[in-house]
Amino acid sequence: MRALVIELRKEKRTGVIPVLLAVGILGAAYAFVSFLIRKDTLLGLPLAPMDVLLTQLYGMIMILNLFGIVVAACMVFHLEFKGSAVKKMYMLPMSVPGMYLCKFLILTVTLFAAIALENLALMKIGQSCLPQGTFEMGTLLCFTAYSFFTSMPVLSFMVLISSRFENMWVPLGVGVAGFLSGMALASSAAAVLMVHPFIVMFKPAVAMSAQPDMLAVMFAQIETLLFLGLGLWMAKNLRYE
Amino acid sequence: MDYIIATEQLTKKYKNFTSVNHVSIHVRRGSIYGFLGPNGAGKSTTMKMLLGLTAPTKGRFTIDGKQFPGDRLKILREIGSFIEAPSFYANLTGRENLDVIRRILGLRKNTIEDALELVGLSEFGDRLAKKYSLGMKQRLGLAGALLGRPPILILDEPTNGLDPSGIHEIRNLVKSLPDLYDCTVLISSHMLSEIELMADDIGILNHGRLLFEGSLDDLRHSARQAGMSADNLEDVFLSIVEQDNAARKQRAKL
Ligand SMILES: Nc1ncnc2c1ncn2[C@@H]1O[C@H](COP(=O)(O)OP(=O)(O)OP(=O)(O)O)[C@@H](O)[C@H]1O
Ligand SMILES: [Mg+2]
Repeated sequence: MRALVIELRKEKRTGVIPVLLAVGILGAAYAFVSFLIRKDTLLGLPLAPMDVLLTQLYGMIMILNLFGIVVAACMVFHLEFKGSAVKKMYMLPMSVPGMYLCKFLILTVTLFAAIALENLALMKIGQSCLPQGTFEMGTLLCFTAYSFFTSMPVLSFMVLISSRFENMWVPLGVGVAGFLSGMALASSAAAVLMVHPFIVMFKPAVAMSAQPDMLAVMFAQIETLLFLGLGLWMAKNLRYE
Repeated sequence: MDYIIATEQLTKKYKNFTSVNHVSIHVRRGSIYGFLGPNGAGKSTTMKMLLGLTAPTKGRFTIDGKQFPGDRLKILREIGSFIEAPSFYANLTGRENLDVIRRILGLRKNTIEDALELVGLSEFGDRLAKKYSLGMKQRLGLAGALLGRPPILILDEPTNGLDPSGIHEIRNLVKSLPDLYDCTVLISSHMLSEIELMADDIGILNHGRLLFEGSLDDLRHSARQAGMSADNLEDVFLSIVEQDNAARKQRAKL
């Protein structure tokens, strides 16, 4: 708990927390504007109204979230490397894996807040713009959880990468490369491709149905834990010499 | 003898290069120990091993009777350290930087002002650390080491980048520390003339090997025995290093 407070203090004047919250607000605004403008076209699609609401807007929202995650993850460790503050941390009686975990948790919570904001907007739209009686709260909540879980592998992966490279351009480049390769391969049906964390994140966006793909959720959980475990292990055992 | 820091045949190899070679130093409790050596002698590497920043290839050491890695947290709680360049959060002010360290150490709030006062940075405590001048960053690093007045201080070239009056000030500060509160200081430098003014004991390192260890009087004594003038210790130090370098060349030729 104390470590978390310390971590939050360190992040003062950096954009780590604002960036994901801003992404959430931007995503929510996009949903409103886009639905207002394209309402008739969207509802005219041969899909169930709930599927339209959740999958047709999610593509753009997901890309916003993805870049929010990449940028926030880059910054959360950049502040340690700039001024080589992390070297001081190694000389203090504290746990370095603990610090890693705190950064991971802070990003997870802010990402969740962003996704909650976006889905709050979708809920408002659903309640006021969908044809009478077609809005389903359960489906929306389920999709919210689905989009959160499928976004976590990218977060876990990006925190890992950013913790290992002092030069912020490296994790940023990895993030962009991940995004591009993920986008190129997202619509492929081959399940093995889901070992690529960015492809997992793209899954809900390329689907036509709001029903969660349980295989993707499974891959997501495993990858999230795997990258987190790897990051903690490296924080404990590999030093910046 | 009561040694608060004692190393035994401490060795660090990087690939095939030996940076620290079977070094055994002994720091008396409550003393100031000057660690001398030219560039690349292995002073920083030795200090990094003492702080657990890098693992020794061979050898052992104890700090206040404790050892790495088992007592890592306990050891680090007792040591205030400053290695090579100052480390700080660029996005925080001087005070906020110290506050982060204070919270990690679980110290009281007033320790921050105490440390700022000691290094003469009180006036600039609320400026962003990235906007500090080189000397101010150096002082901030020192304040971080002095925070909470730890019983052991490990300072690696703390006067680097300071102006002459700053050097003087920090030197006087370090010198006064064992009287101010009960502490032991391990300080490194390139210049014997600087160390001479503060240290009780010195260790001279060259190419990773400890050439001399003892008090300043011991050094004068051995200089006289070797037929050198003991008036200027800096010359003694330089000639010890030169002799060692010459001997190394000789050995390399054979
Ligand atoms: N991580 C590393 N990898 C390889 N070699 C290293 C590493 N760190 C230090 N060295 C080498 O070890 C030797 C000793 O370095 P060290 O920094 O301990 O010297 P120093 O006595 O502190 O010198 P200076 O007075 O210049 O600070 C140098 O030759 C250096 O190049
Ligand atoms: Mg050095």
